[in-house]
Amino acid sequence: MAPALEARGLVRRFGAVEALAGISFAVSAGELYGLVGPDGAGKTTTLRALAGLVALDGGEARVLGQDPERGGVRERLGMMPQQYSLYGDLSVAENLAFFSRLYALPRAVYRARADRLLALTRLDRFRERRAEALSGGMYKKLALACALLHEPEVLLLDEPTSGVDPVSRRELWALLHEFVQGGMAVLVSTPYMDEAERCDRVGLVHRGRLLEEGAPRDLVDRYAAEGRPGRHGGAPDFEDLFVARVEARP
Amino acid sequence: MTAPAVVARDLSRRFGDFTAVDRVSFEVERGEIFGYLGANGAGKSTTIRMLTGLLAPSGGEARVAGHDVRAEPDRVKGAIGYMSQKFSLYLDLPVAENLRFFAGAQGLSGKARDARAAEVLARVGLAGREGAVTASLPGGARQRLALGCAILHRPQVLFLDEPTAGVDPLARRDFWALIRELAAGGTTAFVTTHYLDEAEYCRRIGLMVDGRLVALDTPAALKARWVPGQVLVARGRGLDAAALRRLPGVLAAEPFGAGLHVRLDPDRIGAERVAAALRGAGARELSLASAAPSLEDVFLAVVGGAAQEAAP
Amino acid sequence: MNGRLSRFATRVGAMSFKEALHVRRDPRTLYMALVMPVVMLLLFGYGVSFDVDHLPLAVADGDRSESSRALVRAFTASGEFDRVAEVDPARADDLFRRSRAAAVLVIPWGHARRLAAGRPAAVELLVDGSDGTTANQVLAKADAIVRAEGRRLGPAPASAPPLEVQVLTRYNPAGRSAVYLVPGLAAYLLAIAAVLLTALTVAGEWERGSMEQLFASPVGRLEIILGKLLPYLAIGLVQLLLVLAVGAAVFEVPIAGSLWLVFALGLLFLVGMLGQGLFISVVTRNQLVATQAGALSSLLPSMLLSGMLFPIENMPAPLQALSRVIPARYLVHGLRGAMLKGNGLAVLWPDLASLALFAVVIVALATARFRRRLA
Repeated sequence: MAPALEARGLVRRFGAVEALAGISFAVSAGELYGLVGPDGAGKTTTLRALAGLVALDGGEARVLGQDPERGGVRERLGMMPQQYSLYGDLSVAENLAFFSRLYALPRAVYRARADRLLALTRLDRFRERRAEALSGGMYKKLALACALLHEPEVLLLDEPTSGVDPVSRRELWALLHEFVQGGMAVLVSTPYMDEAERCDRVGLVHRGRLLEEGAPRDLVDRYAAEGRPGRHGGAPDFEDLFVARVEARP
Repeated sequence: MTAPAVVARDLSRRFGDFTAVDRVSFEVERGEIFGYLGANGAGKSTTIRMLTGLLAPSGGEARVAGHDVRAEPDRVKGAIGYMSQKFSLYLDLPVAENLRFFAGAQGLSGKARDARAAEVLARVGLAGREGAVTASLPGGARQRLALGCAILHRPQVLFLDEPTAGVDPLARRDFWALIRELAAGGTTAFVTTHYLDEAEYCRRIGLMVDGRLVALDTPAALKARWVPGQVLVARGRGLDAAALRRLPGVLAAEPFGAGLHVRLDPDRIGAERVAAALRGAGARELSLASAAPSLEDVFLAVVGGAAQEAAP
Repeated sequence: MNGRLSRFATRVGAMSFKEALHVRRDPRTLYMALVMPVVMLLLFGYGVSFDVDHLPLAVADGDRSESSRALVRAFTASGEFDRVAEVDPARADDLFRRSRAAAVLVIPWGHARRLAAGRPAAVELLVDGSDGTTANQVLAKADAIVRAEGRRLGPAPASAPPLEVQVLTRYNPAGRSAVYLVPGLAAYLLAIAAVLLTALTVAGEWERGSMEQLFASPVGRLEIILGKLLPYLAIGLVQLLLVLAVGAAVFEVPIAGSLWLVFALGLLFLVGMLGQGLFISVVTRNQLVATQAGALSSLLPSMLLSGMLFPIENMPAPLQALSRVIPARYLVHGLRGAMLKGNGLAVLWPDLASLALFAVVIVALATARFRRRLA
């Protein structure tokens, strides 16, 4: 079966800077794939390229086997950008209703799904609240709900939990696992190393390249086998691996 | 004897019917790194806005660097440095110009200004990058520059509101090394963060829930008080937290990273029973290791407990 | 196919509804669109008037006779001139410099005697030419007055002149400038408000960060553009009605022709102007720049090149050519035709066609320049 999401040698230059220098990876249905890397590594550009929002200088992006720049596949793709991307002056319910209409969902379907997502994200009490008056964690959950309304087969999440408190973060991840178990392919970028460990597989991105890829446990085991201790003296964890790999290639 | 750098007594702020900060009291010593934690919307930013003289308290009082925030907000502003996650640098200016501009805004001029700018530049590890346009810096370097701009006037107290949001672990590590250096030099740091691993750097931590300060102590004491017992980290596939919670002697079982954090009363249950129960519930490739409780365990215990109390 | 069309309509509707919500949340937009034009219309209507009377007239009467006093009375009788001073002709310059008089009527010694002898009695009129509009009015009025006086005094001409012009002004017989100005002002006010309304909207999506979410959804570029155009078109039409109503109620500007035709002209013009705002917004991606570009590109051409103030026929050829791509030109022409002359479709179709062409081209351009790209 073709992967749900595929990056084939993505290259993108901004002037002299190579933001993407040939990134390749694939995510299958029912898989949660994490992109981790330092700031400016190219995580956001990779996600945008997969959504067809960035002109590539080389390589190809494929979503469900199709070119994401062609319109059709967008109906089956969900995206939650890193930056604030909802309408702050619109209420929670109005934001949801707007995005449901962009996907031309029938009213009854929209109502049922919105009710379910609002209950799931515990936003149902805040239907009438303006998005700009939500706390950081609630805002992110609303953005996730907006990206999930049309029940996409592929979901792209760009740092969905930055600025979100640990309790809300945990709830967001529980939601994601639920959707992945339902067969969704999820690609998530994150600067949190404990979150990287929650992914089925992770790709370590640095300077527009994929340094390493695999199940987080395997990567950490491999790193431990190199005989390096963790920063607290005990067994190394993913953060130790991350720091060592990035520092090795400044 | 020296007066505390920050004193809050019954500090409160109401917005209409809503009480954002509810009779909060604490003291922060000079040179202390003080962590102020809480869920989104718990009242952290409102507290900081009152302590920095930007927002008048509706009740109680607070003194920062010896000045009353209500009566002398301008003196407070002169004695503090402030940096938030949306730091306000001029992105189109070179690094050195940003420093010179903010130094000028603090009333420095001529040679004194340039000397201080150069000193801070070296301090935040950006010497040699004076000419780089700020927008071209990676997030971590930009954040250190913002910190540099906040310490140009040698503030006694630094307020850092989620300074490391969205920053990678390496950059966060460098940033915290800087904060610890500054604290060793006598600067007080008042920090909010959602990264509980970096809250370990704080000497003491206050935890806010729904506008109230519900816990205040050193990280070690908080762990002893809120997450007693032994912590085991379970790794593997098919881990069932609910099955564990039913075992007598298991105090808590929470997903943590890809694994589970299991807290147990060592007098009532041992690691073998936990392993057997997990295997019985379908766990594969199981490994168990004992671990120190983390501040995230504390956070979940405090915030989760308070939320359950509040629920009908 | 039907399904695609209905999804298209749903998405355009979703964009429009959302835009309407923004307007409802921030009613300043509505004030800008509805109150500002009315206020400006009142200001302009009262302030910019070419009707001049009570012109200050100084008199240098060297004759001091019954006849010379009769001539001065003829000047002041209708209220068109006010006698402000009695001067020595040598001091005329001084009066002009201090703007105390618009004209000086010099009646030489011997005026009465000449008239009595049946000889031509010339009088001199010194006019302050520094204000051209006023000077023209002074000349026209003085000429009419002197001619009338001449006919009253002199014997009827022995024979009628072989060729005589009888002037009869149609459509604005009283020569009131409001009647002439309101259609022009309507174009000017609609242009500014419409361009500014939409200049902000696309740039706003970029600045807000919501463009990324929009682009990741199936909504198409044309759907975004149309969705943003429709609600502001509705506001624009209300605005047009308001301007026409104020014009009729306050300035008694008639609508001689079909109201539908006036509306059709306004509608096509609005689509063009809203499209121009969208185009600017798409290109600049920045609200501040878009506002400035929007104001400049709507205000200057619609005031200077539309024929609202200055007749296009008198412009140098390059400006005349330029005015052909300014939609306000066709609206001003069309509105004057429909409102004052009662022209119908048979006469006005070129104006309608030009406006429609501009509207289609600018909306197509905005859509084409609208890149579905973040970087």
